[in-house]
Amino acid sequence: MLRGERAFGVLILLGLVSSLVLGGVLAVLVPRAVVLATHGAGGPRDVVSILLIGLAALGITLGLSSLLRQLFATLRLIHRLLARRVETPERVDIAAGGLDLAGRIDVVDDERPFSFCYWFLRPRICLSTALVGRLGRDELRAVLLHERYHLVHRDPLRLVIARYLAAGLYVVPMVEDLVEHFTLEKELEADGHAVSRIGVAPLARALYELLPDADSVSLGLLVPVGALSVTEARIDHLVEGRPLEMRVSPASVALSFGALTAAAILAAAQAPAPAQLPPVLAVPGLLVAPASLLFVAAVSGGVEQLRLVVHR
Amino acid sequence: MTGPRRTPSGTEAPSSLRRLRRIGTEERFLGPLEAAVMDRLWKRGAATVREIVDDIGRSRSLAYTTVMTIMSRLHEKGLLQRDRTGKTYVYRPAVSREEHRERLSRELVRGLVDEFGDVALAHFAAELDGVDGPHRAALRRIAKESGDAPR
Repeated sequence: MLRGERAFGVLILLGLVSSLVLGGVLAVLVPRAVVLATHGAGGPRDVVSILLIGLAALGITLGLSSLLRQLFATLRLIHRLLARRVETPERVDIAAGGLDLAGRIDVVDDERPFSFCYWFLRPRICLSTALVGRLGRDELRAVLLHERYHLVHRDPLRLVIARYLAAGLYVVPMVEDLVEHFTLEKELEADGHAVSRIGVAPLARALYELLPDADSVSLGLLVPVGALSVTEARIDHLVEGRPLEMRVSPASVALSFGALTAAAILAAAQAPAPAQLPPVLAVPGLLVAPASLLFVAAVSGGVEQLRLVVHR
Repeated sequence: MTGPRRTPSGTEAPSSLRRLRRIGTEERFLGPLEAAVMDRLWKRGAATVREIVDDIGRSRSLAYTTVMTIMSRLHEKGLLQRDRTGKTYVYRPAVSREEHRERLSRELVRGLVDEFGDVALAHFAAELDGVDGPHRAALRRIAKESGDAPR
């Protein structure tokens, strides 16, 4: 199995497990929410319930808003670009020869050199006239091969699902790390597909042609650094074939598992029959520990999701 | 009433730096007609609206007022400077073609993302402006491996 596929599989699995645990908390909380709404909060258990309901509502809102935002932004971009669609130049048809992309390439009149794969169930490839004009035939074919990989694997759809999970499961910060890893793995795989068909040089030339300030190259040794940009990681992979290391911070793992454990404990403690719980969980004051852990994870993940919203 | 700001040399500056910072990413990119006007001005160095109308008019029919609006807009965007000569303005590019191309490349992905928010696309070129010198050099090296140097 390809590394990107595996990363997506792990992401979905973690998403399902987390959803089950958090869904369990929600299932317990909904009846309590009705009681709290009619009778008001009475003790520490009720306060924790109210806070948990708030976190769950925020998670659902974040997930849905992320999904709608992405769909709306994608539709707006596609609509605006396709209004400037031009006839596919002959050199694009030649470069795409034998790639089974007939009728699935849109060339749009834009002076920014870009290409991307878009749409969900039956993806398409969009190229700008500036990109087509700037690249030679082999480089253009390398770009098409890269995008074709995304097209065949329906990566835009996977990207939406991945980002929806990251936003909705913001109390599990590991999901966001996995999404970043998955996104980069897919880029490396798409590059790998292009390289296997046409070689390294055309793809490298295509990337190089699009780099800003490409003429003022400072010579130096290629050294692995901590925070590589997406393109730097791709260059490393092209140069050395170095597999991508999964970067998940220990704090993120600890917070994620801590939050899920805490959620499970709280669900049990908030259940209608807490007398069946171990005595230690029947003490209301001890709810503070798992609740605090859950809130720390929520703040950490929530800040990250808000940062993404502000950045985008 | 405040008139247009002028540089010490008497050239009317493109509004102000503040205006340049305020305008959105999308505005800094050119539509097809704007690109055609900039292309003529980069080739000629300087021209009046009438000269550009006549130049472009050889290949397509355009109204004088359309070109005048386009050139005023390009001036507003900071891409053209203009000097008043008698009753007419003479326009000059405020940035070279290379500088403009450089700016576009730098803002390629940022532009798309800023403009449209959280788009669900798989880009070929992402975070291009985050590539450091050693990685550029490495990319240049493998790009040349086939014997064709990057242009």
